[in-house]
Amino acid sequence: MLRIYPGVLVQCDPSIKSIIVKIDNEEHAFIVEELDDQTLVIKENMMTTLKMKLDEVDAFAA
Amino acid sequence: MSVSTLASFEYLERLPGTTFRRLYQQPSTALAIFRRMLPHLAKTFVMALLYMSKPMPLPDLDLWVNPNSKRERDNALQLLSRLHIITVTAPSRDDPQTITLTKNFTESLRLALTGGGDHNSFGVPSNDSVAENVDLAFLDEYARDQWEGILHYVVNSVGEAMRGGGQGPTDAVKKLLEAGKLVTTGRHSGKGITQAGFSFLLQEVNAQVWTLLLLWIENAEKMELDSVEVLSFLFMLGSLELGRAYSKDTLTDSQRQMLPYLIDFGLVYIPRPSSGHFFPTRLATTLTSDASALRSVSAGFDAASSAAGGAKGFIIIETNYRLYAYTNSPLQIAVLSLFTRLKARFPNMVSGRVTRKSVGNAISHGITSDQIITYLSTHAHPQLVKSSALHGGPVLPPTVVDQIRLWQIENERMKATPGFLFKDFENAKEYEGCVRYADEIGVLIWRNDVKRMFFVTRVEQLRDYIKSKKIK
Repeated sequence: MLRIYPGVLVQCDPSIKSIIVKIDNEEHAFIVEELDDQTLVIKENMMTTLKMKLDEVDAFAA
Repeated sequence: MSVSTLASFEYLERLPGTTFRRLYQQPSTALAIFRRMLPHLAKTFVMALLYMSKPMPLPDLDLWVNPNSKRERDNALQLLSRLHIITVTAPSRDDPQTITLTKNFTESLRLALTGGGDHNSFGVPSNDSVAENVDLAFLDEYARDQWEGILHYVVNSVGEAMRGGGQGPTDAVKKLLEAGKLVTTGRHSGKGITQAGFSFLLQEVNAQVWTLLLLWIENAEKMELDSVEVLSFLFMLGSLELGRAYSKDTLTDSQRQMLPYLIDFGLVYIPRPSSGHFFPTRLATTLTSDASALRSVSAGFDAASSAAGGAKGFIIIETNYRLYAYTNSPLQIAVLSLFTRLKARFPNMVSGRVTRKSVGNAISHGITSDQIITYLSTHAHPQLVKSSALHGGPVLPPTVVDQIRLWQIENERMKATPGFLFKDFENAKEYEGCVRYADEIGVLIWRNDVKRMFFVTRVEQLRDYIKSKKIK
């Protein structure tokens, strides 16, 4: 049966994608669907939180 | 298409059909939508259908359209039905689909084009305008003062408060700005500007007016106003003539209630609270004009602001990222301080530098590099424009422009597109059909044939398509 999900298509490097997957593993609050190495669909209302989390990871690495 | 059109568009498209039916009872609304919102092809369709007494078969309509322009045709029809201007019958096996204009829209547009009726939809001019001594320059000045007052309030909510002249907007406007999240009243830091507020500041005047008006409409129900009444009143204002007085007597009660708000925005001027007529200002009369008139709005305002001392172009930016702005307007300085590190302020100019940090700061507030660049180039100093014309190069130094863009992409490691994911198709044929259709109408951005999934930006058209497939 055909299903339609609203969301945000995110296209990024595999490295960034794996970070997103790691963040999602904690609560499964972000990802709607993993599509391939460089593409995934994120819940629309979680985009800003996700960006903030990514920046945190970035700041930690720097 | 301008930003403002897009904003008002999106709002209108969300309205239900009943609202549209009521809106289209006013000829001024039908005309405003027709001339402002529709692309040329859609206008052609409407004009052709306007005096057609019977529904027109869709295949006949296709004959008018070049087969190569199927996408434009689909877009036009889609837009027309989203705005409830046309109705297309559901596809069935026996009869071809037919297309008709909706009844209210037809009647109103006919009235608007050919005149007649006693609808007063375009306002009733009042006779005693000469006595009031109100001329165009005065109205422009008045509208500019009111509007800058609002902008000042938004800007001043940024940390570095620079108190400009004037008494600022009224409480009603302040509440509205808060409700629209253009400024916030935080617990610790008092007032603050938000991301939406930043991009609001950098828009052109017409877009700003629409943004604020849409906020107002959205909050209108809280103020016990009917959003349909508000919208049709705005569309009426857009059809009035600048510099003429219009009678208050023909307004409905709720329209009279709206007047105080419109006075606060600077869209309408009333000489005395007791007087029986009102003047629309340039802000109001250009609400629904098309793109060329829109440019003349900004031209009108530039003229107004140059009279007040701030010339049109005042920014000089050098290849070493130094920026000099010949202005003493607190508003312009505050806007500049959003993305430049200002170092010195003189009576007639400020100087500073565009740095990675200052631009990054702006970007983190939601301002895009393109907004910054557009702002810089529209306000470039005449000297800068002259020398670029002499050498045939771009107005802004390319190094600076490129660098600002680079600073933006620095932190953009992912590309995000809102939309809809389609998955779990029953068979390859169904998938193929849908994905091909999505590609044709230009909404497809990602597909995976093996997994039979794809991602689109818009869903309405596809939904209709899938439904029509199910019937067959």
